[in-house]
Amino acid sequence: MLATVSSATILGVEGRPVTVEVHVTVGLPAFTVVGLPDAACREARDRVRAAIQSSRLEWPNKKVTVNLAPSAERKIGTGLDLAIALAVLAATEQVPHGALAGVGCIGELGLDGSVRPVAGAVSLVDALPDGVAVVPIASARQARLVGRHDVRPVGRLPDLVLALRGEAGWPDPVEPPPPPPAPPPPDLADVRGQPVARQALEIAAAGGHHLLFVGSPGAGKTMLARRLPGLLPPLGREDALTVTRVMSAAGLKVPGDGLVTRPPFRAPHHSSTLVSLVGGGTASLRPGELSLASHGVLFLDEMGEFPPSVLDALRQPLEEGVVRVARARATVTLPAGFLLVAATNPCPCGGATEPGECRCSENARSKYRRRLSGPILDRFDLRVTVHRPDPTALLATTAGEPTEAVAERVARARDLAADRGFEVNAAIPDRRLDAVAPLDGGAARMLEAALRQGRLTARGLARVRRVARTVADLDGADPEAPLGAEPIALAMALRGAIVTGSEAAA
Amino acid sequence: MSALEPSDAAGAGTGAGADGRAPGECDLPAGAWWAALAGLPGMGPARLGALWEACAPEEAWRLVAEGGAHRLPTLATLLGKQAESVAAGLARAAAAVDVAERWAAHREAGIEVVVRGDPRMPPRLDDDIDPPFVLFAAGDLTATEGPTIAIVGTRRCSRPGAEIAHEIGRQCARAGGRVVSGLAVGIDAAAHAGALAAGPGAAPPVAVVGSGLDVIYPARSRALWHQVARQGVVLSEYPLGTSPTRWRFPARNRLVAALADVVVVVESARTGGSMYTVDEALERQREVLAVPGSVRSTASAGTNWLLSQGAHPCCSPEDVLMAAHLTATPEEAASVLDPRPPPTGDGRRVLRAIGWDPATLDAVATRTGLGLGAVAVALDRLEADGWIDRADGRIERRARP
Repeated sequence: MLATVSSATILGVEGRPVTVEVHVTVGLPAFTVVGLPDAACREARDRVRAAIQSSRLEWPNKKVTVNLAPSAERKIGTGLDLAIALAVLAATEQVPHGALAGVGCIGELGLDGSVRPVAGAVSLVDALPDGVAVVPIASARQARLVGRHDVRPVGRLPDLVLALRGEAGWPDPVEPPPPPPAPPPPDLADVRGQPVARQALEIAAAGGHHLLFVGSPGAGKTMLARRLPGLLPPLGREDALTVTRVMSAAGLKVPGDGLVTRPPFRAPHHSSTLVSLVGGGTASLRPGELSLASHGVLFLDEMGEFPPSVLDALRQPLEEGVVRVARARATVTLPAGFLLVAATNPCPCGGATEPGECRCSENARSKYRRRLSGPILDRFDLRVTVHRPDPTALLATTAGEPTEAVAERVARARDLAADRGFEVNAAIPDRRLDAVAPLDGGAARMLEAALRQGRLTARGLARVRRVARTVADLDGADPEAPLGAEPIALAMALRGAIVTGSEAAA
Repeated sequence: MSALEPSDAAGAGTGAGADGRAPGECDLPAGAWWAALAGLPGMGPARLGALWEACAPEEAWRLVAEGGAHRLPTLATLLGKQAESVAAGLARAAAAVDVAERWAAHREAGIEVVVRGDPRMPPRLDDDIDPPFVLFAAGDLTATEGPTIAIVGTRRCSRPGAEIAHEIGRQCARAGGRVVSGLAVGIDAAAHAGALAAGPGAAPPVAVVGSGLDVIYPARSRALWHQVARQGVVLSEYPLGTSPTRWRFPARNRLVAALADVVVVVESARTGGSMYTVDEALERQREVLAVPGSVRSTASAGTNWLLSQGAHPCCSPEDVLMAAHLTATPEEAASVLDPRPPPTGDGRRVLRAIGWDPATLDAVATRTGLGLGAVAVALDRLEADGWIDRADGRIERRARP
């Protein structure tokens, strides 16, 4: 007897449809799984048999062959358990054949017949054909996000069998309460003084410009960076689904009612490995921190302490907005369009921003500089030195401008970019700059002088113009008017020369 | 020392190789042996001195090469408790050295090697309380003769500090004062750059370094190093190939102090190499001047402390010239006039708000009450016209273009 059930497996963040075919025939009792199952998937044999027997259903004492089609693709994880069990039951006529038409299912089985959640529910359900989607209770909320299916949460295998036989209605289990919504991001009002760093945060949020804070320990770099996600507008439906999909594929709990609505903020520690950042560590090519930060903020604190290999790995994602992970058996493309914010000390001891305070040896300083310098530094449109705030500003009783007010300006500036047809100003291609960010006479003269004196490079020029566009948009300038001297000068000042030490004096 | 030979006449020998020495070694001058000894690990001025007192050059080398350094009582105390094993270590190091080859390398590189008592040895060093026993020189040794001013300070200096060092260096060289410094980055480099900028007819610069004359440290000073050697002289107590070990720098600083009539500290933290130079200078009764700085600047903490301890304040290059009994040569008119267009409007306000201490963009915006955009425009103008410098997120006012 033959039976088929639709299910899905996951690779990267994409679900792949899988058809589970079960053939039961006379012969020596055996149970084999073919079709490139991985170890966890092959173990389904034992779980499925125990679950069927615990559910007071009959295990066929015959030769049972399971094929996972398409056979050439690797199947990963435990999500196929439920589909295999149903296919066996249908092949032995314990579940009517017709009942399985238009039903797809995902879920791991416990030995007692309980149905357990699996990682990546959103992507898995998305890969199921339209119709009924049978999912573990805890995955129901995520499964409904796909919106194409009649989602049926199931807690135990016997309940599902009764429903399919028509002997009982679909189970209506009590779903666990959603995890509490994520706490609101910290507010900018807590930041006293620091007008330049605040302005840089606002520009980064509005224009999607990557931002580097350089400063001595205690200057408030980390505090500032953590306030950036709050300035970003909430995620649109499409982006929210992508973020949720990645979180779900990485096996993380999605706070709130299933859909992530706030831009994510990921802050991997500097001891993180290359694979944990880029992704692809497991057979399912699990997404890494870069993908988890997609449509949000990736914050690298102490960037100078990250291994050079990790920093190098950032370059391609920063350029293309995706990570391509290639392994012997599969290549996947993971989303990685994030806003990069990094913080670093100017030198190992952190004193180099104040004259005479640095205690590092010449060697240590140049080594640190080399690690920071090069191509990765070029990716930052905004490179801002943060100084320890003025004591009078710290003790002032007036709070800084709150996040809400700044976020409003950011949203308006982002709308302007969208009107021009770009997601953010940082994405304006070089050839469109003349049309989108024209210069008035004063601005052109200023840039020319800076280029002539070697204070600005040709590459820096394009970046300065993009940042200046954002500055003008935030100021509420006429979006059609050419850029004046002020936004250009501010963009150049915020691109600051980086960690040069005192060789200027030599 | 009868064995002393002018370095360009190494062929003339000290005597016959009667006692079975290798043929190349028999006609080596004293400098060759001392150069080889000075290159051994841990062989500083004190240990060399002990050998100097007790032995003739070749004898000293043989004693060390045979592992007998600890048998010399004065040296044994300097070698410490494990004198015997230290002596064995020296012997091992000596076994790897071919004295004749070393000597040839120095001659090929055009390095002058002078030992204590040689008439070419700068008299100030020969008469010093802690004299060098062998000195290596790239350049013209006579550059050290005449009024000499040491300009020292921190490597992590501020822009104004470097400017002051540059200006003092330039004025001194113009007035005929030899500028002595250590070729480190920061104040040292600025002082020498100033001395070299003084133009033709100025006094030659003198540098003392803490490594072999072919080991340029820091690498950033390469161009300056060669220029000083060309126009003046670069001195070292160590033979070619010696790497810049930490303990060699205080020893270098003592030579800087010994060579100078006057020591000027431009910027220095409360502790560090410059303060060591000051101690050495005071021990030798040299006059010490310090440039006053902001009480908020770590880079001026040391100089301000020196002033509080009674050092003479140096408020202009003339103060240094007076201390060194030199008279300033009049400037050409061109260098007196400031060619920079005077700042106007916001630019003037911003420049005033910057002041002479390093300022931040935050501080300038707060002090002027202007928007960040307006401040940025003014700063750009000021930078383009040469009124300010921006580095490491600091804004610093320039005294001259």
